Amino acid sequence: MRVLIVEDEPRLAENIARSLRESAGYAVDIAHDGQEGLFLAESNTYDAILLDLMLPNLDGKQMLTRIRSAGQHTPVLVLTARDEKESVVALLNAGADDYLTKPFDLGELIARTKTVIRRGKGQPSPVLTIGDVELNTVNRTVQRGGRNIVLTAMEYRVLEYLAHRPRAVVSKSELLEHLYDYNWEKFSNVIEVYISGLRKKLNDGSSRQLIHTLRGQGYMLQD
Amino acid sequence: MARVEMARVEMAKIERTKSSIKRRLVWSVVASQALLAAGLLCAGVFYTYRRLLSTLDANMQAHAMSLAALVRYSEDTPAKLYFDSTLTPQSVDPQHPDLYAVWRENNELLTRSPNWPKQLQLTNGANHWNFESSGIPYHGIRLSRVPVLDREEGVPRPETLNILYASPTLHLRSQIKNTAIFIAISSLVLLSVTVLLALWGIRKGLLPLQNLADEAALVSANNWQLHLPPQVEEVEELHPLTESMTRMLSRLERSFEQQREFLGNAAHELKTPVAVLKSTLQSLLHRPRSSEEYRAGLEQSLQDLERLERLLEWMLRLARAEQWAHGALRRDLEVVDVTVTCEAAVERIRAWAESRRTQVHLLTNGTALFRADPEDLQLVWTNLLENAVRYSPEGSSVEVAVHSNNGGPARITFQDHGSGIPASDLPHIFERFYRGDPSRDRATGGFGLGLAIAKGLIAAYGGTITADSTPGKGTRMTVELPAGGTPLELSTNH
Repeated sequence: MRVLIVEDEPRLAENIARSLRESAGYAVDIAHDGQEGLFLAESNTYDAILLDLMLPNLDGKQMLTRIRSAGQHTPVLVLTARDEKESVVALLNAGADDYLTKPFDLGELIARTKTVIRRGKGQPSPVLTIGDVELNTVNRTVQRGGRNIVLTAMEYRVLEYLAHRPRAVVSKSELLEHLYDYNWEKFSNVIEVYISGLRKKLNDGSSRQLIHTLRGQGYMLQD
Repeated sequence: MARVEMARVEMAKIERTKSSIKRRLVWSVVASQALLAAGLLCAGVFYTYRRLLSTLDANMQAHAMSLAALVRYSEDTPAKLYFDSTLTPQSVDPQHPDLYAVWRENNELLTRSPNWPKQLQLTNGANHWNFESSGIPYHGIRLSRVPVLDREEGVPRPETLNILYASPTLHLRSQIKNTAIFIAISSLVLLSVTVLLALWGIRKGLLPLQNLADEAALVSANNWQLHLPPQVEEVEELHPLTESMTRMLSRLERSFEQQREFLGNAAHELKTPVAVLKSTLQSLLHRPRSSEEYRAGLEQSLQDLERLERLLEWMLRLARAEQWAHGALRRDLEVVDVTVTCEAAVERIRAWAESRRTQVHLLTNGTALFRADPEDLQLVWTNLLENAVRYSPEGSSVEVAVHSNNGGPARITFQDHGSGIPASDLPHIFERFYRGDPSRDRATGGFGLGLAIAKGLIAAYGGTITADSTPGKGTRMTVELPAGGTPLELSTNH
């Protein structure tokens, strides 16, 4: 998953980014003002945007309106220092999916981020099930038929992304887009390495594959 | 507890000494009515007495004249004067007959009434007099040189007579008494009717006051509106009161609103630094880290805390400045030289300015005396200087100029050569927590409070502060201080 943080207070942005990387395994980009945020949101595909309201150049609400009027469905979690009813209502009506008032709890921020991402992809439960594979997004564990499967961080991220979009064809470039942040060089062959690793670890002895390769199109997670 | 007790005693004292408008009005009505009645009584008695007396006088004069007519010459020769007592006029009061005496020119007594008192003392020359005879009050008149009406041949010149005539005044007294009683009784009746009418009128007249009090009781911190019922607005005498009440309420509302706004702003401003601190500590605790990482995190937190501390300090300064501007704080002021406070501020800022390679020049033309707290002025100058230096590019200069005007109003200007303030931001820069460019301001360490504090303080001294700016060329802040510097009173503040 890849998340955009738009926050003008650099320390706060850095702290949030660190937490999202460490405890959710997300790729995180940071923008420090509304213009930069809008540029990043328009030029990349994010699974969620964390948006501060008081921003230089273009304030959070204007940016939100611009994103929504451009037809983007990316879930937006607003970080606000205001907690009056009217402004909250106005925010939700402008297209925000959720909001958090400052000062917030980082744990809650991560949980809410996960929730807006999940709901954005039509997955109400935090435990994703594909056949007999269970992926718990809360504590980031994977089980197959009751057996724990230990994955590397990148393998988990690939599986998590695929599990959020079961039975959909996910291209390599889409995977790259959602697994790495802006600063990474993207090499498509690393995806093949992670996919083959995942296939090995998920193999329960039967010849039945969960991750299907569609030549020239991408991958699909299907029981 | 002691305080509560004292307050209660105070209230009781007020309760005892409370004066009632109604009572006072009734008393004044009663007093004026009583005075009027007394005056009326006196005037009535006096007038009646005079009227009765003049009637009596006229009566007695007629009687006396008829007495004169009874003096005749006899048929003898030479003719002798005699009094024909057969035709004596009847007395007014048959029980107390009139008294009379007639003398000839040569003071020879011609006749007198049988009841003429022997020891009657007459004041010489008086034509009217009062006396008592055997317990009966009399009023008498004297007629001098009344010619004898009877004509007798051979008497060349008619002789003249002196006549004294007196009537009892008993009936006069009783008539006066009756008049007095009549006036007194009718005054009493009128007085009681007036008191009743006054009570009714006063109660009705004071009703709008009660209505006003009822309406005023509805005013609270959540409802500042004073709805004046039409019966209150109609009363002309209540206009000064209702007007000052409305003015006071709008002042109170404004100051309440400002407090609330300040609190809202403050809470809002505090949230971001608290969020930074909290997130730093939470992410530090999120998983075990090396001691270097902990150290770095703690150092960061300390920096964040120091920033928070500074923000709090600035907010307190602003709160004080605004309170002072609203006249809530009273302090002792002294006459200070504005130039000296400017010099102090420049000294305070110089090292920091030089670390940013910015020169600060101070231009003055003599002393500019002003009644103020020097700390306040220094704070304002420091804030303006800090702002000017902060937005100055390296190697440029800031000019501070004090134009004193021989005790007249003083003008202090701060000119920088920075990037200037965009025209869209210019009207807002004195609003608290306003930052034209938040990220840049944060980077330069500002909170958006310095100018608000400066404005609050300068306004408290009755001065003005204005900014004009040319983008790309720089900004000039101008402070105008009034002559002498008497702080505004609370009443004239709005």
